[in-house]
Amino acid sequence: MPTDSQFLILAQWFSPGYPVGAFSYSHGLEWAMTSDAVSTATEVQDWIATVLRDGGGWSDALFLAAAYHAPHIDAVAQTDAQCRAFAPSLERLRETDLQGAAFCQITRTVWPQTHPHGIPSKLTYPVAVGFAAKCCGLPLRATTTLYLHAFAANLVAAAQRLAPIGQSEAQACLHALAPLCRDIAEQTDDGDLARLSSTSFLADIAAMKHETQHSRIFRT
Amino acid sequence: MINTAGGVTGGDRFDLTATAAAGTELTLTTQAAERAYRAQPGETGRIRTHLVVGDGARANWLPQETILFQGCRLDRHLQIDLEASSRLLMCEALVFGRAAMGERLTDGVMQDRIDIRRCDQPLFQDAMTFCGDVAAHLAKPTVAAGAGALATVIFVAPDAEGRLAPLRRMLGSTAGASLIGSDLLILRALAPDSYALRKVLMPILTDLLAAPLPKPWMT
Repeated sequence: MPTDSQFLILAQWFSPGYPVGAFSYSHGLEWAMTSDAVSTATEVQDWIATVLRDGGGWSDALFLAAAYHAPHIDAVAQTDAQCRAFAPSLERLRETDLQGAAFCQITRTVWPQTHPHGIPSKLTYPVAVGFAAKCCGLPLRATTTLYLHAFAANLVAAAQRLAPIGQSEAQACLHALAPLCRDIAEQTDDGDLARLSSTSFLADIAAMKHETQHSRIFRT
Repeated sequence: MINTAGGVTGGDRFDLTATAAAGTELTLTTQAAERAYRAQPGETGRIRTHLVVGDGARANWLPQETILFQGCRLDRHLQIDLEASSRLLMCEALVFGRAAMGERLTDGVMQDRIDIRRCDQPLFQDAMTFCGDVAAHLAKPTVAAGAGALATVIFVAPDAEGRLAPLRRMLGSTAGASLIGSDLLILRALAPDSYALRKVLMPILTDLLAAPLPKPWMT
């Protein structure tokens, strides 16, 4: 279990107030909801659960852990290059690139120990978080669990902006996704990138379709 | 060209390396669809393919689809090494069970990886693992909504950007395309079965190849 001070750093990093701009990314959910593939709270929950288990959630958790375990700075850079290559579409790449860059910028200012000599100026989001958690001596499993929970919470909030889903329903949905965040963190903590897998094909196709969506409120 | 003699079963090992020397064009296909048969208990078929594409060379990796039979165990890895000015068109199509025979893939293990590197740096990577009731997994609305066939197309060329808009006009609701880098285009398509998938793929591949597809595709 994290100590009180570790816990508070994690609470700060994964608060919606931490300026990574998470609120502007829907991961393709905007297209899925606009095209009526997803509309009810139950469908939103299923969509997010699949993306967590079989898509970006699982692979981000592995990249986060790989960066955490990286034996030297070069290994962090290699993990980052692989994370970029694993992006299934342009908007997915932007999502991890821009949030990662914002996370690096603010975190390196507040916690200078996360900015050692030789580290790339920008990292993808999970790699930036994994490396910063290591530099700050934070426990991996709690970091990954909260990273995934923040990812799920952001998508639930996006869904509320796109469809008439009530507050209680939305929070019940997020609460139901919490055990999955914990399970994925547990299953990925070796950071073994040979176990990467992504099979949430229709979520990836939704992110591709979103690139040409005419009227939109999210960047992805 | 190349095909496993009849299909892959548990314990089989296939290794292929092909090189397109600088300035050349190499097109590879298979004479028939690849079949991954039911494996013996505890055995996994293994396929390793390595393409090396020299400077100014172009490789077209266009095998016909791979059909996964009930009970298959397959571990596949495609590695492609490019130089700064190499071009690539590749397509991998997977068919989950023999739909025409009413087969549902409720027991299968498939690990599939694609690693494309340029000048020794990762350019594009794809990894998918299916294990157990693959049909149930594909039935999920965020996975494949019941589709029985999947294709991944990757195109690396200086004119990739100009290809995107026309390509998108050829795609229905279960296929998407994206330009991930200035010269890197990816397309993912789902279809009910292999026949429907071919109908989507053939005009797209012909267009990207800027030539007729290799003969085995036409039969």
